[in-house]
Amino acid sequence: MATLRDIKGRIKGVQSTQKITKAMKMVAAAKLRRAQEAIVNARPYARQIFELLSHLATEDDLANNPYLKNKEVKNVAIVVVTADRGLCGAFNANIIKEANRYIKEELGGNANVSIFGVGKKGYEFFSKRDFKISGKKTGIFSSLRYDYSLEIIDEIIKGYLNDSFQKVIIIYNEFKSIIQQKIVVEQFLPIPVKLIAENISYPVALPNYIFEPDQKYIFNYLLPKHLKAQMWRILLESNAAEFGAQMTAMDNATTNAKELIRTLQLKYNKERQAAITKEILEIVSGANALKSA
Amino acid sequence: MADLFLEIVTPSKSSFSGNVISITIPGAIGSFQVLKNHAPIISTFEIGVIKVELLNKAPEYFATSGGTVEVLNNKIRVLADTVEPLADIDLNRAKLSLERAKHRLENRNVEDINIARAEAALARATNRIKLVEKYQNDSSL
Repeated sequence: MATLRDIKGRIKGVQSTQKITKAMKMVAAAKLRRAQEAIVNARPYARQIFELLSHLATEDDLANNPYLKNKEVKNVAIVVVTADRGLCGAFNANIIKEANRYIKEELGGNANVSIFGVGKKGYEFFSKRDFKISGKKTGIFSSLRYDYSLEIIDEIIKGYLNDSFQKVIIIYNEFKSIIQQKIVVEQFLPIPVKLIAENISYPVALPNYIFEPDQKYIFNYLLPKHLKAQMWRILLESNAAEFGAQMTAMDNATTNAKELIRTLQLKYNKERQAAITKEILEIVSGANALKSA
Repeated sequence: MADLFLEIVTPSKSSFSGNVISITIPGAIGSFQVLKNHAPIISTFEIGVIKVELLNKAPEYFATSGGTVEVLNNKIRVLADTVEPLADIDLNRAKLSLERAKHRLENRNVEDINIARAEAALARATNRIKLVEKYQNDSSL
């Protein structure tokens, strides 16, 4: 049976764990706020570049542009966006699970699949198993910069244009709210034509734009930029979602610790009372024994 | 009188939004100025300086590393990769990155470098330094 001292030691231990999880929760909350601001700041650019693209797209572009044209798919690259660190509940596990499901059910196994790991957790999972790795970008979430998005996209575009893979799918956590993350599976390349076609906001003839240098050039110039803005948005979403998940996980941990402390405290009190009762009994029965002697 | 509205956005934030007299942009096939009632235009632009003239105020200068601009119905939308207001440019940092880029390009046969990237870095740094040296005095009132 645990002695009083043992129980007291455990209470101390749980209390210090609780302090840590509480602090981590607050750190996550502060970072989350900044991450949310970053998403809001990134929106206008992403939206406007997309609008501009829609203004510029011609029938010919939609059918023949290498970024938009559907090719015969031999290999698929899957961009798996996870966090670099754990301690955020099922955040990473969910993504990995969804990626596995997608590969198995939609692609029929991993024969023609390569993984592009963004974030350490997902990359580590797939690199240790029987998967081809087409690229990785890890350790970026501690200080997220736009450059990272550029580097990721440059690498993806390179692989796409030299035909290493003909389709790019991206799986990431979208930030819904602090307690809710939504797993999103999106086709990244070729850019779904439907998206752009739907957004062509000129049923009326395009205003007579002057193009410098020319329409095609600008369209091709903007497409990679659009992808980069998209990737940046995805990184920011995932980052915010990670902090949200971490906050929830740490909050749960703190609550659990509190509950644990309560039970331990109760046990401690009972033990103490039992010890006191025992001592009194001993004294009384000792005294009684003396009296009757 | 209808105004000429300008919005400058970058991936990380919206850098400028408001009415202006004119804007000068380092366009891909030559620098050009947009005044009110300009014809609709979409143009790309390169590393250089964006000059914004404001009503009753000193003009503002931004160092940019390229992007696109759209002018339509007296609305100018500048979508830049980066813009830095003159006041935010760190001259020392620009000089350092200039040195670094130069060093890389000089040793291009020794080190394995991305030449296009180093050249772009060189151009950006030069652009910043030029901008600061040219305008620092008349805007730091």
